[in-house]
Amino acid sequence: MRQASSLHHHVLRAPGEAASAFTGWSISWWRVFHFGALALVMALSPRTYDRENRAVTAKQIYFTAWQVLPWFTLLAALLSTVLIRIVVATAAGYGLLQYAPELVVRVLVLELIPLFAALFVALRSGAAINTEVALMHIRGDFDAMQRAGGDPLRRELVPRVIGSAVSVLALATVSGMIALVIGYIGVYGFSPWGFDAYTRTVGLVFDLEASLGLALKMLLFGAAVAVIPIAASLEMPREMRLAPVAVLRGMVRLFLVLVLLEGASLALTYQI
Amino acid sequence: MPPEIQPPPLIPHVEFKATLLLVLTLALIAGFITYVMYARGAFEKTQRLVLVAEDSEGAKVGMDLTFSGFPIGRVQRIELAEDGKARILVDVPEKAARWLRISTVFTMERGIVGDTRIRAFTGVLDDPPLPDGAIRPVLRGDASAEIPRLIATMRTLLENLERMTGADSSLSNSLANVKTVTERMKSRYGALAAMLGSEANAQKVIGSIDRANALLASVSGLSLKVDNLLSKTDARVFGSAGVMDETQKAMAQLNAVLGDARESLKKADAVLAEAQAIGANTRTATADLAALRAEVEASLRKVAHLVEEVNRKWPFARDTKLKLP
Repeated sequence: MRQASSLHHHVLRAPGEAASAFTGWSISWWRVFHFGALALVMALSPRTYDRENRAVTAKQIYFTAWQVLPWFTLLAALLSTVLIRIVVATAAGYGLLQYAPELVVRVLVLELIPLFAALFVALRSGAAINTEVALMHIRGDFDAMQRAGGDPLRRELVPRVIGSAVSVLALATVSGMIALVIGYIGVYGFSPWGFDAYTRTVGLVFDLEASLGLALKMLLFGAAVAVIPIAASLEMPREMRLAPVAVLRGMVRLFLVLVLLEGASLALTYQI
Repeated sequence: MPPEIQPPPLIPHVEFKATLLLVLTLALIAGFITYVMYARGAFEKTQRLVLVAEDSEGAKVGMDLTFSGFPIGRVQRIELAEDGKARILVDVPEKAARWLRISTVFTMERGIVGDTRIRAFTGVLDDPPLPDGAIRPVLRGDASAEIPRLIATMRTLLENLERMTGADSSLSNSLANVKTVTERMKSRYGALAAMLGSEANAQKVIGSIDRANALLASVSGLSLKVDNLLSKTDARVFGSAGVMDETQKAMAQLNAVLGDARESLKKADAVLAEAQAIGANTRTATADLAALRAEVEASLRKVAHLVEEVNRKWPFARDTKLKLP
Protein backbone atom coordinates (compact mmCIF):
# COMPACT_ATOMS: atom_id res chain seq x y z
CA MET A 1 0.00 0.00 0.00
CA ARG A 2 2.83 2.27 0.96
CA GLN A 3 4.64 1.29 -2.24
CA ALA A 4 1.62 2.11 -4.31
CA SER A 5 1.21 5.49 -2.70
CA SER A 6 4.91 6.24 -3.23
CA LEU A 7 4.57 5.27 -6.88
CA HIS A 8 1.54 7.48 -7.11
CA HIS A 9 3.54 10.23 -5.50
CA HIS A 10 6.33 9.76 -8.08
CA VAL A 11 3.94 9.84 -10.99
CA LEU A 12 2.41 13.00 -9.65
CA ARG A 13 5.79 14.55 -9.01
CA ALA A 14 7.31 13.75 -12.41
CA PRO A 15 5.50 16.44 -14.42
CA GLY A 16 6.27 18.97 -11.77
CA GLU A 17 9.94 18.05 -11.95
CA ALA A 18 9.96 18.22 -15.70
CA ALA A 19 8.34 21.63 -15.55
CA SER A 20 10.86 22.95 -13.06
CA ALA A 21 13.73 21.44 -15.09
CA PHE A 22 12.39 23.16 -18.17
CA THR A 23 12.10 26.44 -16.29
CA GLY A 24 15.66 26.09 -15.02
CA TRP A 25 16.85 25.31 -18.52
CA SER A 26 15.04 28.33 -19.94
CA ILE A 27 16.40 30.63 -17.25
CA SER A 28 19.88 29.32 -17.86
CA TRP A 29 19.64 30.00 -21.58
CA TRP A 30 18.11 33.38 -20.88
CA ARG A 31 21.18 34.22 -18.83
CA VAL A 32 23.41 33.15 -21.68
CA PHE A 33 21.61 35.44 -24.12
CA HIS A 34 21.44 38.24 -21.61
CA PHE A 35 25.13 38.07 -20.94
CA GLY A 36 25.82 37.81 -24.64
CA ALA A 37 23.77 40.90 -25.40
CA LEU A 38 25.42 42.80 -22.58
CA ALA A 39 28.89 41.81 -23.76
CA LEU A 40 28.03 42.71 -27.34
CA VAL A 41 26.77 46.15 -26.41
CA MET A 42 29.80 46.75 -24.29
CA ALA A 43 32.18 45.50 -26.94
CA LEU A 44 30.63 47.85 -29.47
CA SER A 45 30.69 50.85 -27.19
CA PRO A 46 33.82 52.97 -27.65
CA ARG A 47 33.81 53.91 -23.96
CA THR A 48 34.77 50.34 -23.12
CA TYR A 49 38.16 50.85 -24.66
CA ASP A 50 39.85 53.12 -22.20
CA ARG A 51 43.57 52.84 -21.83
CA GLU A 52 43.58 50.15 -19.21
CA ASN A 53 40.90 48.09 -20.88
CA ARG A 54 42.68 48.31 -24.21
CA ALA A 55 45.70 46.73 -22.61
CA VAL A 56 43.61 43.93 -21.13
CA THR A 57 41.80 43.33 -24.40
CA ALA A 58 45.08 43.33 -26.29
CA LYS A 59 46.42 40.78 -23.86
CA GLN A 60 43.39 38.56 -24.35
CA ILE A 61 43.69 38.81 -28.12
CA TYR A 62 47.37 38.03 -27.78
CA PHE A 63 46.68 34.92 -25.72
CA THR A 64 43.72 33.52 -27.56
CA ALA A 65 44.56 34.48 -31.13
CA TRP A 66 48.16 35.58 -31.67
CA GLN A 67 49.80 32.76 -29.78
CA VAL A 68 47.88 30.00 -31.54
CA LEU A 69 47.73 31.50 -34.99
CA PRO A 70 50.90 29.89 -36.42
CA TRP A 71 50.15 26.48 -35.02
CA PHE A 72 46.55 26.56 -35.94
CA THR A 73 47.32 27.79 -39.44
CA LEU A 74 49.81 24.97 -39.90
CA LEU A 75 47.29 22.43 -38.66
CA ALA A 76 44.54 23.81 -40.85
CA ALA A 77 46.86 23.81 -43.86
CA LEU A 78 47.71 20.19 -43.21
CA LEU A 79 44.07 19.22 -42.86
CA SER A 80 43.19 21.21 -45.98
CA THR A 81 45.95 19.53 -47.97
CA VAL A 82 44.78 16.08 -46.97
CA LEU A 83 41.13 16.83 -47.71
CA ILE A 84 41.91 18.52 -51.00
CA ARG A 85 44.06 15.56 -52.06
CA ILE A 86 41.22 13.19 -51.26
CA VAL A 87 38.64 15.30 -53.08
CA VAL A 88 40.82 15.85 -56.16
CA ALA A 89 41.90 12.21 -56.38
CA THR A 90 38.33 10.97 -55.99
CA ALA A 91 36.96 13.48 -58.46
CA ALA A 92 39.67 12.56 -60.95
CA GLY A 93 38.88 8.88 -60.41
CA TYR A 94 35.26 9.49 -61.37
CA GLY A 95 36.25 11.81 -64.21
CA LEU A 96 34.60 14.78 -62.49
CA LEU A 97 37.71 16.87 -61.94
CA GLN A 98 35.90 19.97 -63.15
CA TYR A 99 33.76 19.87 -60.02
CA ALA A 100 36.69 19.49 -57.64
CA PRO A 101 37.42 23.24 -57.13
CA GLU A 102 33.83 24.01 -56.24
CA LEU A 103 33.70 21.09 -53.84
CA VAL A 104 36.98 22.13 -52.22
CA VAL A 105 35.89 25.73 -51.77
CA ARG A 106 32.47 24.80 -50.47
CA VAL A 107 33.52 22.09 -48.07
CA LEU A 108 36.64 23.73 -46.70
CA VAL A 109 36.18 27.47 -46.74
CA LEU A 110 32.46 27.61 -46.18
CA GLU A 111 31.95 24.77 -43.74
CA LEU A 112 34.87 22.93 -42.25
CA ILE A 113 37.39 25.65 -41.48
CA PRO A 114 35.08 27.99 -39.54
CA LEU A 115 33.83 25.03 -37.50
CA PHE A 116 37.35 23.79 -37.01
CA ALA A 117 38.51 27.24 -35.85
CA ALA A 118 35.60 27.57 -33.43
CA LEU A 119 36.22 24.11 -31.98
CA PHE A 120 39.91 24.82 -31.67
CA VAL A 121 39.36 28.11 -29.83
CA ALA A 122 36.75 26.45 -27.63
CA LEU A 123 39.15 23.67 -26.75
CA ARG A 124 42.18 25.85 -26.15
CA SER A 125 40.80 29.13 -24.77
CA GLY A 126 37.16 28.39 -24.03
CA ALA A 127 37.94 25.69 -21.48
CA ALA A 128 40.65 27.84 -19.90
CA ILE A 129 38.41 30.90 -19.69
CA ASN A 130 35.58 28.77 -18.35
CA THR A 131 37.78 27.47 -15.51
CA GLU A 132 39.35 30.82 -14.80
CA VAL A 133 36.04 32.69 -14.62
CA ALA A 134 34.45 29.90 -12.55
CA LEU A 135 37.29 30.09 -10.03
CA MET A 136 37.15 33.89 -9.91
CA HIS A 137 33.40 33.73 -9.42
CA ILE A 138 33.67 31.16 -6.63
CA ARG A 139 36.47 33.04 -4.89
CA GLY A 140 34.36 36.22 -4.99
CA ASP A 141 36.84 38.22 -7.05
CA PHE A 142 34.07 39.93 -9.00
CA ASP A 143 32.23 41.02 -5.85
CA ALA A 144 35.44 42.35 -4.40
CA MET A 145 36.17 44.24 -7.59
CA GLN A 146 32.68 45.70 -7.60
CA ARG A 147 33.12 46.80 -3.97
CA ALA A 148 36.39 48.46 -4.93
CA GLY A 149 34.53 50.47 -7.56
CA GLY A 150 35.57 48.46 -10.59
CA ASP A 151 33.31 46.91 -13.19
CA PRO A 152 34.15 43.23 -13.48
CA LEU A 153 32.07 42.86 -16.64
CA ARG A 154 33.96 45.55 -18.44
CA ARG A 155 37.35 44.89 -16.92
CA GLU A 156 37.53 41.10 -16.89
CA LEU A 157 34.78 39.53 -18.93
CA VAL A 158 34.28 41.66 -22.03
CA PRO A 159 38.01 41.56 -22.94
CA ARG A 160 37.81 37.77 -22.82
CA VAL A 161 34.71 37.76 -25.00
CA ILE A 162 36.40 40.04 -27.50
CA GLY A 163 39.56 37.96 -27.39
CA SER A 164 37.69 34.73 -28.14
CA ALA A 165 35.52 36.23 -30.86
CA VAL A 166 38.49 37.89 -32.57
CA SER A 167 40.39 34.64 -32.26
CA VAL A 168 37.69 32.64 -34.03
CA LEU A 169 37.39 35.27 -36.73
CA ALA A 170 41.14 35.61 -37.27
CA LEU A 171 41.86 31.90 -37.27
CA ALA A 172 38.98 31.14 -39.61
CA THR A 173 39.90 33.97 -41.97
CA VAL A 174 43.61 33.22 -42.18
CA SER A 175 43.08 29.47 -42.51
CA GLY A 176 40.29 30.00 -45.01
CA MET A 177 42.53 32.08 -47.24
CA ILE A 178 45.31 29.52 -46.94
CA ALA A 179 42.85 26.76 -47.78
CA LEU A 180 41.82 28.72 -50.89
CA VAL A 181 45.45 28.91 -51.99
CA ILE A 182 46.08 25.25 -51.21
CA GLY A 183 42.90 24.37 -53.05
CA TYR A 184 44.17 26.17 -56.15
CA ILE A 185 47.51 24.41 -55.96
CA GLY A 186 45.85 21.08 -55.27
CA VAL A 187 43.65 21.33 -58.35
CA TYR A 188 45.79 23.26 -60.86
CA GLY A 189 49.32 22.79 -59.48
CA PHE A 190 51.63 25.78 -59.67
CA SER A 191 50.44 26.84 -63.11
CA PRO A 192 48.97 30.35 -63.25
CA TRP A 193 46.52 29.40 -66.00
CA GLY A 194 43.86 28.06 -63.73
CA PHE A 195 43.39 31.44 -62.09
CA ASP A 196 40.48 32.58 -64.23
CA ALA A 197 38.58 29.33 -63.86
CA TYR A 198 39.27 29.22 -60.13
CA THR A 199 38.18 32.82 -59.72
CA ARG A 200 34.96 31.98 -61.51
CA THR A 201 34.38 29.03 -59.21
CA VAL A 202 34.98 31.21 -56.15
CA GLY A 203 32.58 33.77 -57.57
CA LEU A 204 30.03 31.04 -58.17
CA VAL A 205 30.29 29.66 -54.63
CA PHE A 206 30.36 32.99 -52.82
CA ASP A 207 27.12 34.45 -53.99
CA LEU A 208 25.49 37.03 -51.78
CA GLU A 209 23.61 34.55 -49.60
CA ALA A 210 26.60 32.29 -49.07
CA SER A 211 28.86 35.24 -48.20
CA LEU A 212 26.40 36.76 -45.75
CA GLY A 213 25.72 33.32 -44.32
CA LEU A 214 29.43 32.72 -43.81
CA ALA A 215 29.91 36.10 -42.13
CA LEU A 216 26.94 35.52 -39.86
CA LYS A 217 28.07 32.03 -39.02
CA MET A 218 31.58 33.18 -38.08
CA LEU A 219 30.19 35.95 -35.87
CA LEU A 220 27.83 33.51 -34.16
CA PHE A 221 30.63 30.97 -33.70
CA GLY A 222 32.82 33.67 -32.17
CA ALA A 223 30.06 34.86 -29.90
CA ALA A 224 29.17 31.33 -28.80
CA VAL A 225 32.76 30.41 -28.04
CA ALA A 226 33.21 33.61 -26.02
CA VAL A 227 29.90 33.87 -24.22
CA ILE A 228 28.71 30.37 -23.35
CA PRO A 229 31.62 29.26 -21.13
CA ILE A 230 31.60 32.55 -19.20
CA ALA A 231 27.84 32.47 -18.76
CA ALA A 232 28.03 28.86 -17.54
CA SER A 233 30.70 29.82 -15.01
CA LEU A 234 28.77 32.78 -13.67
CA GLU A 235 25.50 30.96 -13.04
CA MET A 236 27.01 28.29 -10.80
CA PRO A 237 26.51 28.47 -7.03
CA ARG A 238 29.69 29.68 -5.40
CA GLU A 239 30.97 26.34 -4.17
CA MET A 240 34.42 25.06 -5.00
CA ARG A 241 33.20 21.49 -5.64
CA LEU A 242 30.95 22.77 -8.40
CA ALA A 243 33.78 24.32 -10.40
CA PRO A 244 34.30 21.20 -12.56
CA VAL A 245 30.55 21.04 -13.16
CA ALA A 246 30.59 24.62 -14.40
CA VAL A 247 33.38 23.82 -16.86
CA LEU A 248 31.69 20.62 -18.00
CA ARG A 249 28.33 22.30 -18.47
CA GLY A 250 29.85 25.24 -20.30
CA MET A 251 31.83 23.09 -22.71
CA VAL A 252 29.00 20.66 -23.44
CA ARG A 253 26.63 23.53 -24.07
CA LEU A 254 29.18 25.20 -26.31
CA PHE A 255 29.66 22.08 -28.42
CA LEU A 256 25.93 21.63 -28.68
CA VAL A 257 25.51 25.21 -29.86
CA LEU A 258 28.34 24.95 -32.38
CA VAL A 259 26.89 21.77 -33.85
CA LEU A 260 23.40 23.28 -33.98
CA LEU A 261 24.71 26.42 -35.66
CA GLU A 262 26.57 24.38 -38.24
CA GLY A 263 23.53 22.19 -38.82
CA ALA A 264 21.27 25.20 -39.22
CA SER A 265 23.73 26.82 -41.61
CA LEU A 266 23.88 23.65 -43.74
CA ALA A 267 20.13 23.30 -43.70
CA LEU A 268 19.68 26.88 -44.82
CA THR A 269 22.38 26.75 -47.47
CA TYR A 270 21.32 23.48 -49.05
CA GLN A 271 17.58 23.69 -48.26
CA ILE A 272 17.32 20.26 -46.69
CA MET B 1 42.49 42.90 -0.55
CA PRO B 2 41.07 41.15 -3.58
CA PRO B 3 43.42 38.62 -5.03
CA GLU B 4 44.77 40.23 -8.19
CA ILE B 5 45.04 38.08 -11.24
CA GLN B 6 48.74 37.90 -11.69
CA PRO B 7 49.64 39.49 -14.99
CA PRO B 8 51.75 37.17 -17.10
CA PRO B 9 55.37 38.01 -17.63
CA LEU B 10 55.86 41.09 -19.68
CA ILE B 11 54.80 40.63 -23.26
CA PRO B 12 56.59 42.99 -25.60
CA HIS B 13 54.33 45.13 -27.81
CA VAL B 14 51.17 43.32 -26.86
CA GLU B 15 48.90 46.09 -28.05
CA PHE B 16 50.78 46.38 -31.30
CA LYS B 17 50.50 42.65 -31.89
CA ALA B 18 46.79 42.66 -31.12
CA THR B 19 46.26 45.60 -33.47
CA LEU B 20 48.37 43.92 -36.12
CA LEU B 21 46.31 40.78 -35.87
CA LEU B 22 43.09 42.75 -36.12
CA VAL B 23 44.36 44.75 -39.07
CA LEU B 24 45.61 41.59 -40.78
CA THR B 25 42.26 39.90 -40.29
CA LEU B 26 40.30 42.90 -41.51
CA ALA B 27 42.63 43.34 -44.49
CA LEU B 28 42.20 39.67 -45.39
CA ILE B 29 38.44 39.98 -45.13
CA ALA B 30 38.41 43.16 -47.21
CA GLY B 31 40.73 41.60 -49.77
CA PHE B 32 38.58 38.51 -49.97
CA ILE B 33 35.42 40.56 -50.43
CA THR B 34 37.12 42.50 -53.25
CA TYR B 35 38.28 39.25 -54.83
CA VAL B 36 34.80 37.74 -54.65
CA MET B 37 33.30 40.89 -56.14
CA TYR B 38 35.87 40.72 -58.93
CA ALA B 39 35.11 37.04 -59.37
CA ARG B 40 31.43 37.80 -59.62
CA GLY B 41 32.11 40.40 -62.29
CA ALA B 42 31.24 43.44 -60.21
CA PHE B 43 33.98 45.53 -61.82
CA GLU B 44 33.24 44.53 -65.41
CA LYS B 45 30.97 46.26 -67.87
CA THR B 46 28.51 43.71 -69.14
CA GLN B 47 25.90 43.51 -71.81
CA ARG B 48 22.62 41.72 -71.48
CA LEU B 49 21.54 38.76 -73.54
CA VAL B 50 18.09 37.23 -73.22
CA LEU B 51 17.70 33.57 -74.10
CA VAL B 52 14.18 32.31 -74.61
CA ALA B 53 13.64 28.63 -73.84
CA GLU B 54 10.60 26.39 -73.88
CA ASP B 55 11.58 25.00 -70.54
CA SER B 56 14.02 26.42 -68.02
CA GLU B 57 14.51 23.13 -66.22
CA GLY B 58 18.14 22.66 -65.23
CA ALA B 59 19.06 26.30 -65.76
CA LYS B 60 20.02 28.11 -62.61
CA VAL B 61 21.24 31.51 -61.62
CA GLY B 62 25.02 31.78 -61.70
CA MET B 63 25.60 29.09 -64.31
CA ASP B 64 27.96 29.80 -67.17
CA LEU B 65 27.35 30.48 -70.83
CA THR B 66 30.24 28.82 -72.59
CA PHE B 67 31.81 29.32 -75.97
CA SER B 68 34.29 26.69 -77.17
CA GLY B 69 34.38 25.42 -73.59
CA PHE B 70 35.28 28.82 -72.10
CA PRO B 71 32.84 30.61 -69.85
CA ILE B 72 31.93 33.94 -71.44
CA GLY B 73 28.81 34.87 -69.52
CA ARG B 74 26.75 34.14 -66.48
CA VAL B 75 23.05 33.62 -65.94
CA GLN B 76 21.79 36.51 -63.86
CA ARG B 77 18.10 35.84 -63.67
CA ILE B 78 15.50 33.37 -64.92
CA GLU B 79 11.94 34.51 -65.31
CA LEU B 80 8.66 33.33 -66.80
CA ALA B 81 7.58 35.53 -69.68
CA GLU B 82 4.02 36.55 -70.53
CA ASP B 83 3.83 33.96 -73.30
CA GLY B 84 4.70 31.13 -70.92
CA LYS B 85 8.26 30.71 -72.10
CA ALA B 86 11.29 30.91 -69.86
CA ARG B 87 13.52 33.95 -70.23
CA ILE B 88 17.11 33.37 -69.18
CA LEU B 89 18.91 36.67 -68.64
CA VAL B 90 22.64 36.33 -69.20
CA ASP B 91 25.28 38.96 -68.47
CA VAL B 92 28.17 38.86 -70.88
CA PRO B 93 31.28 40.93 -70.09
CA GLU B 94 31.98 43.33 -72.91
CA LYS B 95 35.39 41.87 -73.61
CA ALA B 96 33.85 38.44 -74.14
CA ALA B 97 30.90 39.76 -76.13
CA ARG B 98 32.95 39.76 -79.33
CA TRP B 99 32.42 36.02 -79.59
CA LEU B 100 28.71 36.53 -79.93
CA ARG B 101 27.51 37.51 -83.39
CA ILE B 102 24.05 37.91 -84.84
CA SER B 103 24.31 34.44 -86.36
CA THR B 104 25.30 32.80 -83.07
CA VAL B 105 23.22 29.77 -82.07
CA PHE B 106 22.55 29.03 -78.39
CA THR B 107 21.87 25.58 -77.02
CA MET B 108 20.99 24.28 -73.61
CA GLU B 109 22.07 20.71 -73.07
CA ARG B 110 21.46 18.41 -70.21
CA GLY B 111 23.96 15.62 -69.71
CA ILE B 112 23.30 12.42 -67.81
CA VAL B 113 25.94 13.40 -65.26
CA GLY B 114 26.54 16.98 -64.23
CA ASP B 115 24.93 20.28 -64.82
CA THR B 116 22.91 21.67 -67.64
CA ARG B 117 25.12 23.71 -69.91
CA ILE B 118 24.27 26.71 -72.03
CA ARG B 119 26.54 26.96 -75.02
CA ALA B 120 27.03 29.43 -77.82
CA PHE B 121 28.14 28.44 -81.31
CA THR B 122 29.32 31.13 -83.68
CA GLY B 123 29.93 29.88 -87.18
CA VAL B 124 30.81 33.17 -88.86
CA LEU B 125 32.95 35.42 -86.71
CA ASP B 126 32.80 38.21 -89.28
CA ASP B 127 29.09 38.81 -88.81
CA PRO B 128 27.97 41.98 -87.02
CA PRO B 129 28.24 41.68 -83.22
CA LEU B 130 25.22 40.83 -81.13
CA PRO B 131 23.62 44.02 -79.80
CA ASP B 132 23.04 44.66 -76.11
CA GLY B 133 19.74 43.28 -74.90
CA ALA B 134 19.38 40.87 -77.84
CA ILE B 135 16.70 38.21 -77.51
CA ARG B 136 17.58 34.82 -78.92
CA PRO B 137 15.90 31.42 -78.82
CA VAL B 138 17.80 28.62 -77.16
CA LEU B 139 17.68 25.08 -78.49
CA ARG B 140 17.31 22.27 -75.99
CA GLY B 141 18.98 18.90 -76.02
CA ASP B 142 18.22 16.59 -73.20
CA ALA B 143 20.16 13.36 -72.96
CA SER B 144 18.23 12.07 -69.99
CA ALA B 145 14.88 12.63 -71.69
CA GLU B 146 15.97 10.13 -74.33
CA ILE B 147 16.63 7.42 -71.77
CA PRO B 148 13.04 6.26 -71.11
CA ARG B 149 12.38 6.00 -74.84
CA LEU B 150 15.64 4.14 -75.31
CA ILE B 151 14.80 1.74 -72.53
CA ALA B 152 11.32 1.09 -73.95
CA THR B 153 12.80 0.31 -77.36
CA MET B 154 15.45 -1.83 -75.80
CA ARG B 155 12.89 -3.80 -73.82
CA THR B 156 10.89 -4.56 -76.97
CA LEU B 157 14.08 -5.60 -78.68
CA LEU B 158 15.04 -7.86 -75.81
CA GLU B 159 11.57 -9.41 -75.73
CA ASN B 160 11.78 -10.14 -79.42
CA LEU B 161 15.20 -11.59 -78.94
CA GLU B 162 13.97 -13.72 -76.09
CA ARG B 163 11.06 -14.98 -78.15
CA MET B 164 13.40 -15.75 -81.01
CA THR B 165 15.81 -17.67 -78.85
CA GLY B 166 13.22 -19.58 -76.78
CA ALA B 167 13.27 -23.41 -76.69
CA ASP B 168 10.23 -23.79 -79.01
CA SER B 169 10.91 -20.72 -81.13
CA SER B 170 11.08 -20.97 -84.88
CA LEU B 171 14.73 -19.97 -84.80
CA SER B 172 15.55 -22.84 -82.52
CA ASN B 173 13.49 -25.23 -84.71
CA SER B 174 15.32 -23.97 -87.76
CA LEU B 175 18.60 -24.54 -86.04
CA ALA B 176 17.53 -28.09 -85.18
CA ASN B 177 16.61 -28.65 -88.84
CA VAL B 178 19.93 -27.24 -89.92
CA LYS B 179 21.60 -29.64 -87.57
CA THR B 180 19.73 -32.61 -89.12
CA VAL B 181 20.64 -31.38 -92.59
CA THR B 182 24.30 -30.93 -91.74
CA GLU B 183 24.36 -34.38 -90.18
CA ARG B 184 23.03 -35.83 -93.41
CA MET B 185 25.54 -33.81 -95.34
CA LYS B 186 28.27 -35.58 -93.44
CA SER B 187 27.04 -38.97 -94.84
CA ARG B 188 28.26 -40.72 -98.03
CA TYR B 189 26.10 -38.76 -100.46
CA GLY B 190 26.66 -35.39 -98.70
CA ALA B 191 24.48 -32.44 -99.61
CA LEU B 192 22.43 -34.55 -102.03
CA ALA B 193 21.30 -36.84 -99.25
CA ALA B 194 20.55 -33.80 -97.13
CA MET B 195 18.40 -32.35 -99.88
CA LEU B 196 16.54 -35.51 -100.73
CA GLY B 197 16.04 -36.73 -97.22
CA SER B 198 17.73 -40.12 -97.43
CA GLU B 199 20.64 -41.99 -99.00
CA ALA B 200 18.39 -44.25 -101.05
CA ASN B 201 16.87 -41.27 -102.82
CA ALA B 202 20.30 -39.82 -103.41
CA GLN B 203 21.37 -43.11 -104.96
CA LYS B 204 18.42 -43.00 -107.33
CA VAL B 205 19.24 -39.49 -108.39
CA ILE B 206 22.81 -40.44 -109.05
CA GLY B 207 21.61 -43.39 -111.13
CA SER B 208 19.35 -41.07 -113.13
CA ILE B 209 22.17 -38.69 -113.69
CA ASP B 210 24.33 -41.51 -115.00
CA ARG B 211 21.63 -42.57 -117.43
CA ALA B 212 21.08 -38.99 -118.49
CA ASN B 213 24.79 -38.77 -119.19
CA ALA B 214 24.65 -41.83 -121.43
CA LEU B 215 21.60 -40.44 -123.24
CA LEU B 216 23.35 -37.12 -123.73
CA ALA B 217 26.32 -38.89 -125.27
CA SER B 218 24.08 -40.58 -127.93
CA VAL B 219 22.18 -37.30 -128.49
CA SER B 220 25.51 -35.66 -129.09
CA GLY B 221 26.31 -38.21 -131.84
CA LEU B 222 22.91 -37.66 -133.40
CA SER B 223 23.21 -33.92 -133.34
CA LEU B 224 26.50 -34.21 -135.18
CA LYS B 225 24.75 -36.00 -138.04
CA VAL B 226 21.92 -33.47 -138.04
CA ASP B 227 24.54 -30.79 -138.23
CA ASN B 228 26.02 -32.27 -141.38
CA LEU B 229 22.61 -32.55 -142.97
CA LEU B 230 21.80 -28.98 -142.12
CA SER B 231 25.01 -27.64 -143.60
CA LYS B 232 24.32 -29.49 -146.82
CA THR B 233 20.77 -28.17 -146.99
CA ASP B 234 22.05 -24.71 -146.33
CA ALA B 235 24.49 -24.92 -149.22
CA ARG B 236 21.76 -26.30 -151.51
CA VAL B 237 19.09 -23.74 -150.64
CA PHE B 238 20.95 -20.61 -149.69
CA GLY B 239 24.32 -21.06 -151.44
CA SER B 240 25.22 -19.25 -154.69
CA ALA B 241 23.04 -20.64 -157.52
CA GLY B 242 20.92 -22.34 -154.88
CA VAL B 243 17.14 -22.49 -154.86
CA MET B 244 16.74 -19.25 -153.03
CA ASP B 245 19.07 -17.40 -155.35
CA GLU B 246 17.15 -18.43 -158.44
CA THR B 247 13.85 -17.51 -156.86
CA GLN B 248 15.18 -14.10 -156.00
CA LYS B 249 16.24 -13.47 -159.60
CA ALA B 250 12.86 -14.58 -160.93
CA MET B 251 11.09 -12.29 -158.53
CA ALA B 252 13.28 -9.34 -159.51
CA GLN B 253 12.31 -9.94 -163.15
CA LEU B 254 8.65 -10.17 -162.23
CA ASN B 255 8.99 -6.92 -160.33
CA ALA B 256 10.50 -5.22 -163.39
CA VAL B 257 7.69 -6.50 -165.64
CA LEU B 258 5.05 -5.28 -163.25
CA GLY B 259 6.80 -1.88 -163.04
CA ASP B 260 6.65 -1.61 -166.86
CA ALA B 261 2.96 -2.47 -166.83
CA ARG B 262 2.38 0.26 -164.27
CA GLU B 263 4.23 2.78 -166.43
CA SER B 264 2.10 1.96 -169.55
CA LEU B 265 -1.06 2.15 -167.51
CA LYS B 266 0.05 5.56 -166.21
CA LYS B 267 0.43 6.74 -169.81
CA ALA B 268 -3.04 5.40 -170.68
CA ASP B 269 -4.38 7.22 -167.65
CA ALA B 270 -2.75 10.48 -168.80
CA VAL B 271 -4.30 10.04 -172.33
CA LEU B 272 -7.69 9.39 -170.81
CA ALA B 273 -7.39 12.47 -168.59
CA GLU B 274 -6.65 14.55 -171.67
CA ALA B 275 -9.58 13.01 -173.49
CA GLN B 276 -11.77 13.82 -170.51
CA ALA B 277 -10.60 17.45 -170.62
CA ILE B 278 -11.26 17.66 -174.40
CA GLY B 279 -14.68 16.17 -174.21
CA ALA B 280 -15.82 18.28 -171.26
CA ASN B 281 -18.60 19.91 -173.37
CA THR B 282 -20.59 16.72 -173.91
CA ARG B 283 -21.92 15.43 -170.59
CA THR B 284 -22.78 11.88 -171.67
CA ALA B 285 -19.50 11.22 -173.37
CA THR B 286 -17.75 12.42 -170.31
CA ALA B 287 -19.81 10.10 -168.12
CA ASP B 288 -18.84 7.14 -170.28
CA LEU B 289 -15.25 8.19 -170.25
CA ALA B 290 -15.38 8.62 -166.49
CA ALA B 291 -16.70 5.06 -166.10
CA LEU B 292 -13.94 3.81 -168.39
CA ARG B 293 -11.34 5.69 -166.39
CA ALA B 294 -12.66 4.29 -163.15
CA GLU B 295 -12.28 0.81 -164.61
CA VAL B 296 -8.71 1.53 -165.73
CA GLU B 297 -7.95 2.96 -162.31
CA ALA B 298 -9.38 -0.13 -160.62
CA SER B 299 -7.17 -2.41 -162.67
CA LEU B 300 -4.21 -0.11 -162.04
CA ARG B 301 -4.90 -0.36 -158.30
CA LYS B 302 -5.06 -4.14 -158.59
CA VAL B 303 -1.68 -4.22 -160.33
CA ALA B 304 -0.22 -1.85 -157.72
CA HIS B 305 -1.67 -4.06 -155.02
CA LEU B 306 -0.10 -7.09 -156.65
CA VAL B 307 3.29 -5.32 -156.80
CA GLU B 308 2.97 -4.38 -153.20
CA GLU B 309 2.02 -7.91 -152.25
CA VAL B 310 5.04 -9.32 -154.07
CA ASN B 311 7.29 -6.79 -152.45
CA ARG B 312 5.94 -7.56 -149.03
CA LYS B 313 6.38 -11.27 -149.44
CA TRP B 314 9.75 -10.99 -151.15
CA PRO B 315 11.20 -7.83 -149.85
CA PHE B 316 14.00 -7.41 -152.37
CA ALA B 317 12.82 -4.26 -154.09
CA ARG B 318 14.79 -1.15 -153.37
CA ASP B 319 11.81 1.14 -153.86
CA THR B 320 8.79 -0.04 -151.90
CA LYS B 321 6.81 3.16 -152.32
CA LEU B 322 3.79 3.06 -154.50
CA LYS B 323 2.82 6.20 -156.33
CA LEU B 324 -0.72 6.55 -157.35
CA PRO B 325 -1.67 9.09 -159.89
